Amino acid sequence: MALDLKHTFDEKTFRHYLNGTHIVLHCHHYMSLTTRLAEDHDDIGGTRILAETAEDSVRPLFDEYVKSHTLAPGDARLKMATEFYSVMGMGMMEASGTATTGKVVLSRSHVDQGWQKKWGNHTKPVNHFTRGYIAAMFGSAFDKPARSYRVTETESIVMGKPSSTFVVETA
Amino acid sequence: MTVMRDKVVKDLVKVEVEHDQEGLIPEFNVLVNQLPTEFWDEFADRILAAAPADRQAALEAELVECAHVCGYHTGYGIITSDEFKSIVMPMVTEGPKDVLRGAFAVLTAWGWAKSGIVQIVEGERMTIRATDYYESDGHKSERKLAFMIRGISTAFFELAYGNPYPDGMGKFQCEQVKGIECGDTFGEFVITRK
Repeated sequence: MALDLKHTFDEKTFRHYLNGTHIVLHCHHYMSLTTRLAEDHDDIGGTRILAETAEDSVRPLFDEYVKSHTLAPGDARLKMATEFYSVMGMGMMEASGTATTGKVVLSRSHVDQGWQKKWGNHTKPVNHFTRGYIAAMFGSAFDKPARSYRVTETESIVMGKPSSTFVVETA
Repeated sequence: MTVMRDKVVKDLVKVEVEHDQEGLIPEFNVLVNQLPTEFWDEFADRILAAAPADRQAALEAELVECAHVCGYHTGYGIITSDEFKSIVMPMVTEGPKDVLRGAFAVLTAWGWAKSGIVQIVEGERMTIRATDYYESDGHKSERKLAFMIRGISTAFFELAYGNPYPDGMGKFQCEQVKGIECGDTFGEFVITRK
């Protein structure tokens, strides 16, 4: 499935849009440092906030695409979201699942590989952005509201594994 | 001739940002991402809202530092890139000052802020004005919230006037003196020596 993408640039404001969603280019330094900031402030919910913000910020893009392309619930919608993940430069994702459970594997990861480029491996998973992204993709795939899914990273590229694995369960 | 921002922006946006076969965007010696602005805006808002009063100032400084480090390394990748050499460098006639103008044109082209330099005292001080920037979106605040622009602007000035890369960080600072999010018609940022 090739995504139907419309990338536009507003010549008045100089803003970029992807299928109507306002986007911006940043780099792995910014993502890595933001992730570490979230970890450093985990006592006030830093990593949860990062994951929830990711979930809320990508969900409208999925829902709009589902609506405008009349995608049926399930695999087609999951596939759509895995392709948006690459379009955003976040890596290579495969996803499978139902409305109640799922599994997602990353063979490449902007968050993990960016962290490794800066600081090498880490002792625990750091891909909080993708936990939120996956929660949004399952929510959109199965017409569930935000926070319907709990996503746990069980294996991680940043810990030296060849791929990252996420388990999806209903919250 | 000097660097003409709008021409640079229009030329740069023609450069397609596309992921490779691994779903990554390796450009300018970094991995690039293109995410909804809401992600970056909301994360800053929510974590500041969660932080107690006695941690607010430190957290703001950390948010600025994320962009400062990003801007320093990515900025270096940008000003040494083939795209910069082909699009911006032919307009550079005033040395570091023009390289900085080019860097802010790239900043604008990437969607960080519609911004430009209004004053430079070389090696000492710079004033930036931004008439549109995503960090102001959805806010009516007494607090100035353009942490990303503060960090990036400091980094660019350090690339122009600090020690040679990668040892040029830490000598300058940026204060945001106006903000669209505070009701001003533009954001204004002043970079000075620490």
